[in-house]
Amino acid sequence: MEIPTSTLFDFAFSPVLAAGGINAPEIPHLGWFTNSILVAIIVTVGVLLFTRMATKKMELIPGGKQNFVEFLIEFLYGQVEGIVGKHVAPKAFPLLATIFIFILSANWFGLLPGVGTVGWGEGNGGFLSLDSVHAPLLRPATADLNMTLALAVVFMVVWVYLSVSELGVWGSLVHIFGPKGGLQGMMKYALMPIFFFVGIIEVISIFFRPASLALRLLGNIFAGETLLVVMGGLGEQVLGAKGILGFLTSVALPIPFYFMEILVGALQATVFTLLCGVYIKLSTSHEEEGEH
Amino acid sequence: MEGIIEQFGFAWPKFIAQVIIVLIVYFVLSKYAFGPVLAMLNARRSRIEEGEANIKKIDAEVARAEERIQGMLDDANRDAERLITEARESAEAVRGQKTQEAVNEAQQIIEKAREASRLEHESSMNELKRDFGRLVIDATSKVTGKVLDDGDQKRINEETAGQVAL
Repeated sequence: MEIPTSTLFDFAFSPVLAAGGINAPEIPHLGWFTNSILVAIIVTVGVLLFTRMATKKMELIPGGKQNFVEFLIEFLYGQVEGIVGKHVAPKAFPLLATIFIFILSANWFGLLPGVGTVGWGEGNGGFLSLDSVHAPLLRPATADLNMTLALAVVFMVVWVYLSVSELGVWGSLVHIFGPKGGLQGMMKYALMPIFFFVGIIEVISIFFRPASLALRLLGNIFAGETLLVVMGGLGEQVLGAKGILGFLTSVALPIPFYFMEILVGALQATVFTLLCGVYIKLSTSHEEEGEH
Repeated sequence: MEGIIEQFGFAWPKFIAQVIIVLIVYFVLSKYAFGPVLAMLNARRSRIEEGEANIKKIDAEVARAEERIQGMLDDANRDAERLITEARESAEAVRGQKTQEAVNEAQQIIEKAREASRLEHESSMNELKRDFGRLVIDATSKVTGKVLDDGDQKRINEETAGQVAL
C-alpha cells in the first residue's frame, strides 16, 4: 500500500493558499452558483436573523441586541441626515443603511478563518491534504464584481427614483442641464450652451458612477484578500521556511494586515455609502449648485 | 469591452442573483429593522419631550405652590401676631380687672372683718358692762344687806355702765 506523501501532520503545518483570479469561481457541480453568492447568502441570513432577533420584541428600555441595533441605526440616520438633509433622509436612509451594513458585514466576513482557504484544489492525496485551493468554498461577497455591481445598480435605480420624485422629470433635467449659480438676464442666456455641455458631461459621469462604485469596492477588497494570501505564503515561498517555521510565518506575517483589512473593510463601506449619499444630495437639492 | 467584463467575472445569472440578494436585504431590513427601530426611537424621543414638558409643568406648579404656601405662611404669621397682641391686651385687661376685683374683695373682707371686730368688741363691752353691773348689784346688795328692786338695779346698772364707759 502506497503511503501518501502528505499526512495530517504535514497539512497542519502547511499554509493552504487561495486567492485565485478576480472572477469568483463557481462551486463545483452547482452551475453558475459562485462562492461569493454563497457568502452573500450567509451574510444576508446572518444580518437578517440578528436584526430580527433584536427587533422582534422591542421594548421602550432596550436590551443588549436591541440597544446595539438602535445605536447603529440612530448613528447611521444622523450621518445620512447630515448629508442628504432632513427632508430626503427618511426616503434615502433605508437604502444607504442597507448598503453600509451589508458591505461592512460582507467585508468583515471575508476576514474570518476558512474564507478563501477551504475548498477544492490540488493535493498529494488523502483527506484534508490540499497544497493549494483553486476554488474556495467561501469568498468575500464584495470581492466579486457581480455583487459590487449589483449594489451599485440597485443604488442607481433608487437614486433615479428619489431624484425624480423630489424634483420631477423636468426639474431633474433643468438641474442637470440648466444654468447654475443664480444667473439672470443676458448672462444666463449667454452661458446656457456651456451649461448644456457641462450637463452632457454630467450625464456621462452619472453613467459611469455604477462602474466606479463597483470597481472601487471590488479592487480594494480583492486586493486585501490577495495581500493576506501573499503574506500567508511569504515565509514558505520567498523566505524558504518549511514545516513549523513555515506554519508560524504563515500565521504571524498576515496578522498586521488583518488589522489593516478590518480598517479597510469599514473604510470601503463608509466610502461607498458616503458617495451614494452625496450623489443623492446633489440630485435632490432644490438649490442651484455648481458642483458635480 | 465584453472581454474585460468577462475577465472580471461578470455574468448575468450571477449578477441577477446578487441583485436579488441585495433587494431582499434592502426590503427586509427596511420593513423589519429600520421601520420598527426608527418608530421606537421616535416614540422614545416623544416620550422624552413629553417628560421634559411635564417636568417644566411640574416645576411651574411647584413654584406656584411655593408662592401659595409662602402667602399662607405670611397670612398665618400675621394672624398669629395679631392674636398674640390681642391675647396680650386681653390678658392685660383681665389681669387689671381681676386685680381690681381682688383689691375690692380684699377691702370688702377687711371692712367686714373690721365691722365684725367692732361689733364683737361692742358686744363684749356690753356683756362686760352687764357682768360688771351684776357684780356691782350683787356687791351692793351684800354690803347693804338690802334686797334691791328693779329700779335700783336699773339705776345701779346705768351708773356702773356710765362709769365703765369712761
